[in-house]
Amino acid sequence: MVVTASYKDKDGKVVENKQERHYHPQATNCRDTKMKYGAQWKVANIRDTAIQPHQPKKETIEFELPDGVRSADVTVDLFYEAVNPDNKYPIHSIKKTVSLDK
Amino acid sequence: MRIILLLLITAFVIMPLSTVGAEKAKTIDELAKMYDSSQCKSCHAEIYAQWEKSHHARPLMGVKGGLMLTPLALKKGEKGATAFSEDDPKKMKISNFPCFKCHLPQAVTSAEDSVAAELAEALLAKDSAKVGKLQITCMVCHNEKALIHKRELGAPEKGVIYGNKDVASHAGGKIKKSAIMKDSVFCGQCHGLGPNLEFDQAFQCANLYGSYLHNYVSGGGTKSCQDCHMQKGDHLIAPNFNDDKQTSELLAKALTLDVETLGYEWLRKAATYVPKVVVNTKIVSSAGHRIPDG
Repeated sequence: MVVTASYKDKDGKVVENKQERHYHPQATNCRDTKMKYGAQWKVANIRDTAIQPHQPKKETIEFELPDGVRSADVTVDLFYEAVNPDNKYPIHSIKKTVSLDK
Repeated sequence: MRIILLLLITAFVIMPLSTVGAEKAKTIDELAKMYDSSQCKSCHAEIYAQWEKSHHARPLMGVKGGLMLTPLALKKGEKGATAFSEDDPKKMKISNFPCFKCHLPQAVTSAEDSVAAELAEALLAKDSAKVGKLQITCMVCHNEKALIHKRELGAPEKGVIYGNKDVASHAGGKIKKSAIMKDSVFCGQCHGLGPNLEFDQAFQCANLYGSYLHNYVSGGGTKSCQDCHMQKGDHLIAPNFNDDKQTSELLAKALTLDVETLGYEWLRKAATYVPKVVVNTKIVSSAGHRIPDG
């Protein structure tokens, strides 16, 4: 999941800040501490951030804006990656404009 | 002489069919022919067409034409080679491809080591056509993997098709009921519990069935794999990762995303305000297993 907050700075330039969250089981070969990809290398999960049944995955992601910036466009892209990060399957993309003014 | 003849006839009649023609395949072509299910197509065209697009029809091809077993075929010591690799692909044996446990179960029971050597050479030659001949055909699921109570029921009978019910008269061969065909445990034979510790070099592929048991069933889930992935007998058994649009749609159906935002000025310390945007996300899964998994 990639969360992007974009805003215009005081010079009118669009600035993008991104934060990512990765949801997947992570395994090593149990001989070192490097995460492995590929069944022939993996032996056991050491961490699992995957999305599980009956367990909603909640995040709170914060962006600090520069002084004087009063709004930002937020986009949340949820996608699935198979084999490598370039092979993406889009799932949801939600856009919102956030204002600091009442 | 008559007694001997009678004994021979009796022995042949009572001999389990599984031992008849138990000779193993020596080549990829022989193994493919042994489990060829193309005759099913004539009566079950729709199901066959679904299967042809499925990952079961290309279990050694990975996603989008990849040849996923290639690292095993690489020469020992070569960059990317694995603990299962040999210094010469001709030395590769069935035991060098532990992935066959699920990706080609018929190789474990019905192939000579020469099939593994031929596969290794085909992988190194990027011979997709040859590698693609090795498939999880109808007979792999409907015979080879159909029984899990072999101490009670014996091995699957050669030539018998196992399904949801007994059918005495069936053009393609006798159909016998398998008690597990509609159960998740049937799929769980391959769609994994976790580490495969029974091998001399442990490895881990899919964890999906483990997730189903320990996170879905434990939370009160009652649906089976087949309830969601084989609706109306669909043998595509989605997802098909070669179909981007369909995969995205399936995932969107399984996962909801809720986003809430807040803009405010955070008081860090006296008279020091920090403009801040807070994004709260919530993903809820209706799948019966971890996402991602396989």
